[in-house]
Amino acid sequence: MNAYAEIAVTTNYSFLRGASHPGELVQRAADLRHAAIGMADRNTLAGIVRAYAALQAVKENKPKLLVGARLVFVDGTPDILAYPTDRAAYGRLCRLLSAGKLRAPKGECHLALDDLLKWQEGLLLAVMAPHPSQKERVDEPPQNFWNKNLAKKDEEVGELPDEIHASAPQVSFREIQSLLENLLRAAPGRVWLGVSMPHKGDDRRRLGEWQRVAHAAKVPLLATNDVLYHCPKRRELQDVVTCIREHVTLNEAGWRLEANAERHLKSSDEMAKLFKEAPDAIAETIRFASRITFSLDQLKYNYPDEPIPKGKTAQEHLEEISWQGAAWRYKGVIPDRVRATLEKELALIARMDIAPYFLTVHDIVSYAKGEGILCQGRGSAANSAVCYVLGITAVDPMQIDLLFERFISEERKEPPDIDVDFEHERREEVIQHVYKRYGLHNAALTATVICYRPRSAIRETGKVFGLTEDVTASLASGVWGSWGSELKDAQVRQGRLDPANPMIARAVEAANELIGFPRHLSQHVGGFVLTRDRLDEIVPVGPATMEDRHFIEWDKEDIDTLRLMKVDVLALGMLTCIRKAFDLIRIHKGESFDLANVKREIEEVYEMLQKADAIGVFQVESRAQMSMLPRLKPENFYDLVIEVAIVRPGPIQGGMVHPYLRRRSGVEKVDYPSPAPEHGEKDELFDVLNKTLGVPLFQEQAMKLAIVAAKFTPDEANGLRRAMATFRNVGTIDNFKGKFIGGMVRRGYEQEFAERCFRQIEGFGSYGFPESHAASFAHLVYISAWIKKFHPDAFACALLNSQPMGFYAPAEIVRDAREHGVEVRHVDVNFSDWDNTLEPCEGGLALRLGFRQVSGFREEWAKTLLSSRANGYRAVSEVARRVRLPKRAFIILAEADSFQSISMDRREILWAVRRIADDDALPLFAAQHVEEQTEEEITPLPLMPLSEHVLADYQMLRLSLRAHLMFFLRGLFRSEGVWDCAEISAAKDGTPASCAGIVLVRQMPGDAGVVFITLSDEAGIANVVVWPKLVETFRREIMGGRLLLVEGRVQRSPEGVVHLVAERIFDRSHELERLSEDVTEAPSFRSQAAKHRHPRNVRTVPKSRDFH
Amino acid sequence: MALWFPRLATDRLQRRAKPPPSDAPPLVVVAKVDNALRLSAVDRKATALGLAIGQPLANARAMLPALKVVAANEPDDLKLLTRIADWCDRFTPHVALDGPRGLLLDVTGASHLFGGEQALLNKILESLRAQGFAVRGAMAGTAIAARAFARYRDGAVIEPGEEAEMIAPLPVAALNLDHITTHAFRRAGLKTVGQVASRKRAELTARFGASMVATLDQALGHGAQPLSPRLPLPDYWKEQGFAEPVATEEVIRATLKTLASALSKVLEQRGEGARRLEAVFFRADGAVRRLAIDMGVSTRAPAVIERLFREKLDTLADPLDPGFGFDLIRLSASRVERAPCEVADFDASINEKADIGFLVDRLATRFGSRRILAFQPNDTHIPEAAWAAVPAQYVQASKLPWKKIREPGDAPRRPLRLFARPEPVTLLTTLEGAQHLRWRKVQHAVAQCEGPERIAMEWWRHETPQPTRDYFRVEDGEGRRYWLYRAGVPPQWFLHGVFA
Repeated sequence: MNAYAEIAVTTNYSFLRGASHPGELVQRAADLRHAAIGMADRNTLAGIVRAYAALQAVKENKPKLLVGARLVFVDGTPDILAYPTDRAAYGRLCRLLSAGKLRAPKGECHLALDDLLKWQEGLLLAVMAPHPSQKERVDEPPQNFWNKNLAKKDEEVGELPDEIHASAPQVSFREIQSLLENLLRAAPGRVWLGVSMPHKGDDRRRLGEWQRVAHAAKVPLLATNDVLYHCPKRRELQDVVTCIREHVTLNEAGWRLEANAERHLKSSDEMAKLFKEAPDAIAETIRFASRITFSLDQLKYNYPDEPIPKGKTAQEHLEEISWQGAAWRYKGVIPDRVRATLEKELALIARMDIAPYFLTVHDIVSYAKGEGILCQGRGSAANSAVCYVLGITAVDPMQIDLLFERFISEERKEPPDIDVDFEHERREEVIQHVYKRYGLHNAALTATVICYRPRSAIRETGKVFGLTEDVTASLASGVWGSWGSELKDAQVRQGRLDPANPMIARAVEAANELIGFPRHLSQHVGGFVLTRDRLDEIVPVGPATMEDRHFIEWDKEDIDTLRLMKVDVLALGMLTCIRKAFDLIRIHKGESFDLANVKREIEEVYEMLQKADAIGVFQVESRAQMSMLPRLKPENFYDLVIEVAIVRPGPIQGGMVHPYLRRRSGVEKVDYPSPAPEHGEKDELFDVLNKTLGVPLFQEQAMKLAIVAAKFTPDEANGLRRAMATFRNVGTIDNFKGKFIGGMVRRGYEQEFAERCFRQIEGFGSYGFPESHAASFAHLVYISAWIKKFHPDAFACALLNSQPMGFYAPAEIVRDAREHGVEVRHVDVNFSDWDNTLEPCEGGLALRLGFRQVSGFREEWAKTLLSSRANGYRAVSEVARRVRLPKRAFIILAEADSFQSISMDRREILWAVRRIADDDALPLFAAQHVEEQTEEEITPLPLMPLSEHVLADYQMLRLSLRAHLMFFLRGLFRSEGVWDCAEISAAKDGTPASCAGIVLVRQMPGDAGVVFITLSDEAGIANVVVWPKLVETFRREIMGGRLLLVEGRVQRSPEGVVHLVAERIFDRSHELERLSEDVTEAPSFRSQAAKHRHPRNVRTVPKSRDFH
Repeated sequence: MALWFPRLATDRLQRRAKPPPSDAPPLVVVAKVDNALRLSAVDRKATALGLAIGQPLANARAMLPALKVVAANEPDDLKLLTRIADWCDRFTPHVALDGPRGLLLDVTGASHLFGGEQALLNKILESLRAQGFAVRGAMAGTAIAARAFARYRDGAVIEPGEEAEMIAPLPVAALNLDHITTHAFRRAGLKTVGQVASRKRAELTARFGASMVATLDQALGHGAQPLSPRLPLPDYWKEQGFAEPVATEEVIRATLKTLASALSKVLEQRGEGARRLEAVFFRADGAVRRLAIDMGVSTRAPAVIERLFREKLDTLADPLDPGFGFDLIRLSASRVERAPCEVADFDASINEKADIGFLVDRLATRFGSRRILAFQPNDTHIPEAAWAAVPAQYVQASKLPWKKIREPGDAPRRPLRLFARPEPVTLLTTLEGAQHLRWRKVQHAVAQCEGPERIAMEWWRHETPQPTRDYFRVEDGEGRRYWLYRAGVPPQWFLHGVFA
């Protein structure tokens, strides 16, 4: 049978050209019993690993996977398929593609025939015979190579020849013949002429011509079908992606589309029939495939050997520094248990030969430490004793007994995984270091394959089907959150559109198919691949957005599949905040801390968290976490680990939260689900679940359940893990579902428990949270809580200086700090810096707001202001004279009321600064201008009411130290019988009550339809719950209101968590307008007023954070 | 007098459906501002439900999913405003457009004709409201003051000299200054016009410049800002008024000729040509007759213009009825485009092209532009849809070239004659194996055949999938060539065209 191999296959990694996933093509080729399938995407190898992975899953008739690329040239040469015969030739192909990419803008690849001639050794070349009506539009010729410098630096990349044709010249038979002859001279015996039968009417005639050409050039003819998709049905999607690529609608696309649906994988019989005049061309495909010995298995990874001193092996070196580190960590006395663990781990590392990996991570971390950059590792291998003693993590493995072997599986031979978080503001330095240390040829970022998500898919297909932007927008906005894998009818209806409308239905159908299609490659935020050999001989590298940065064509999953090593250099805002807080503590209090020497297990810290006093604390500051804290009542470090992991989609969807809480509070007995006696030990799950009271909470536990309870093989469990990660893309998880639940039930577990476990696995799919990650995060939770508890001043200051990060707006952080006894002082020209600072005050330190809090103010203005400050400014005119700033800067300063130390009325200062000459005054007079202005006598302006002060503060700083906006409306609301937030918090369960406040946050977690609203007033915060039924009724108020009045009933849990369950909601935002009007008798026409208002003026209240 | 149409955009859309059905969804008009769709107009219902101009559309939709959203069309809004201005012409000749949604009328000396100022204002407001517009209006001594009162004191007629007193309690925004200045006043505690006016002029000039002070003075009723006359909608126009109404054809023609050459001169100075010309005849009794002519190529030659109008007048179905005579004839040019002065060209083909263009225009003027057709290429694979017959006057404007699907030396891929409807044929195979083709009851022996060219139908256009066609070029024994296709299951054969 296997009489045919398709050599010219384009997958959807030729972005917006191919219309099938590599996996679909591989599977189809297997179904058709093709001998081989040659993947050749346009100037890229990006999809090849996916094909390779898919091939592993193919059960029968595995075709041989040929790794290649379709070379598309900018100099008018027709496309040439290039397939490396062996590993060395593969390296050359990678170099060739890298060269083309490095000289082109990001995402493109500019190749000329000369490049191919330079790297052709060992490549099989098939020139694709062009068809006149199939001629592709030639992209604009490159205008300038912005990467020219880079190209120059690297001689091997070279530059493109100058004479690039503006468009592809008409390629004649004659020219193809001479091209073949030229190629043959350079690559004897490795040149083919690839022909396809596109059903253009004159196929036979052209085939005859090509036969003649091939014969004359003495190269064999190669039959192909120039495949774009795996089955004819996909022609529709191919048309759609073509339209997306060409930015046209289907109706306009015309000849840009293929005329028919023939470019799919065809059976050998069909191909033989098409090529019945040239049977040799069919047979040639088999000969072609058999010439190739290269497969991706042959890619052997080697670790960089940078950090290892001469004369030592990596293992010896690792052991040496581990023991040194252990002595340092445990101050010379290494506990026996640690010693034993270390020995065990080092032995495992030796067996797996992964010592260089740890050395590399250690090397990067040491650099960061040397530079004073805070960092912490996490990931499967991070919570090992080795990582602790090497200083990669600060979580003492003795504290939470994590088993290292559990995370590194010997059978799988997978490299360990350590992600290192660095301060987000300084990660760049670390990345620079990595490049410097390992070299451009050996270090590169991994790619992220940007795929179509429901929102982007429907937006693009909507355009293609000619739906108006409005319809598309409402379809897209119907998709709450963008993680679902399908646009459902309900979602279409939510946009109030009829799914039965044929155009909309078609667009939605196409969008559903498009979801998961790769759209382009982007660089991963911090995943580095480091090698000893040249990286660009393993995989093509291309330029990243930043100059002198490269990234490879493969993403994290591909790297995993091929078992290459990567280190994630990630950014974490909280680390920046912690470092800034440590710095402030050192400067102002003279105490020095780092991540490891903060005293552990201090009771007060846990007490604070138990009270849900956690604003600003890492991870546990979200609303859901805050309501969990009083229930979980964390008492020790491991409780924090659970706290971090439990409020996650996995455990929530799996319904594991409440059982855990019940068991923890002792309401429910701790027991372990067990199989029927004949199927195994009764307590087979004890080991897996005993740390979490018999309830699976972590990702690993779910995996372990699959192995222990559902009897998955480790390989299958691994497949399940992968399916989870790619859950959104492919529906493979369903294959595991039956096996998982069936396996457990068959062994006597309860159906309901099995189903819950599986739902949890599905939940993990979107946001997996393994124990090791949770442990690392829990450590930061503790540290940040500790700072908040003992140094609230430094904490608030550091938090404000690290914005934007976290969950709360500056106003809430400041309010929280003041509630914790921190004195907060207003921005002032005489005292403030750009950053927020601490300054001595009676009884400690006060937080002085910095100019960064003032919206519209610039850092360089602050610098200028500071540098001329000397002994301080005494008058507004003096500031204006001494500091050369644009008038706008002074106006902003005055608006923000930052002349308080000069002590003048806010309005008067505003009035005064407006008099400063405009910036565009003649430069000659500019200097004198300010001074020459005579003092003017002005009648006093009306006094600014306090409420307007507060509003102005909010507009300029998004916070006010004077009062809460609600303070001014309290009388009004009091008269209506409305309570303040403190009264709500104190109320008994079931009390009917109403509460009014400024909306801080609106959230609609998951698909449940419940909306949570956080209201704020001068007395505190109230949490409002709106049940789905009510959401529709009060949608307008909920979504549009800035100030809401909520009537409802207080719900108080036994742990003291209070919610106000809404029954009626009123939008009272208009009350806010009273605050700025001191002339109430003026009629106002609202829409008109809005139009004429200054944009800042419209934002009377801080914008709430909605639906993230 | 100032008129202000706060809901012009939504009124434009809703006026047609009169009265709007009470269960119609709230209507908003959106425009893209800084890459986000924001509301640029909201109707009464939407306002009542809390939507406001400037709000992001996404936000508004979240509040009210059942919202009718229409894209902003400022040209149409302006056109409507101009039409309202036209209508106002009947009260005073001095009507000026004021910003995107306002009109200013100088009614000096006109109000007594309508029973006084208040009566005039009421009459205008009432009839505009009856036409479905939300409108506010006021009358005052200066334009700025009138504008302020229109927004804040609807229907007010302010006696001369009373402006300062009346305007004092209005908010600063009534001055219609830029938002920065307005904000500055409000922040300084000067929230009404009166408070601003109470400051020393020097104080204000030093901060906000002399023009702001001038505006303030006008608002207080001092000085006057001349109305800038309304720009005519047509790009260029020329008109001639007659003291004595004219009624004879000769005079009308002569007038058109004079106007044509005057208009042509203006166009030539600007290097432009018109694609549309309009002659407007104002009858002494108020009736207006308009004649418009469209052209395939822009033109400004007076002879051409004159001739086209002459033909138009000759072929009018209902002849121009001068009644008691016209007192004004206006010729205007619209849809102008760049038409650089051409140097006389000796290349015959260009002249030929111009001649054809002129011929097409003349024929179209005579028979109607829908009767003179030309072929235009369509970008599609479907053979019968690959061309369309469209009014010849518009063809030249199309930029789409004919698709070149055939290389030099190649056989023709499409037949010279394509049948309007493919005709069924039968394919017979004789005992000897030779093929025959039966078409219109005549049998033809198939000598040669090439194909198939497979063309799939445009799947997105049809509810049910249409069969893919396989086209064959077939030659019979006598050398006649046919274009056949096969489609469907079981396959049926059709003849779709013949080559030569």
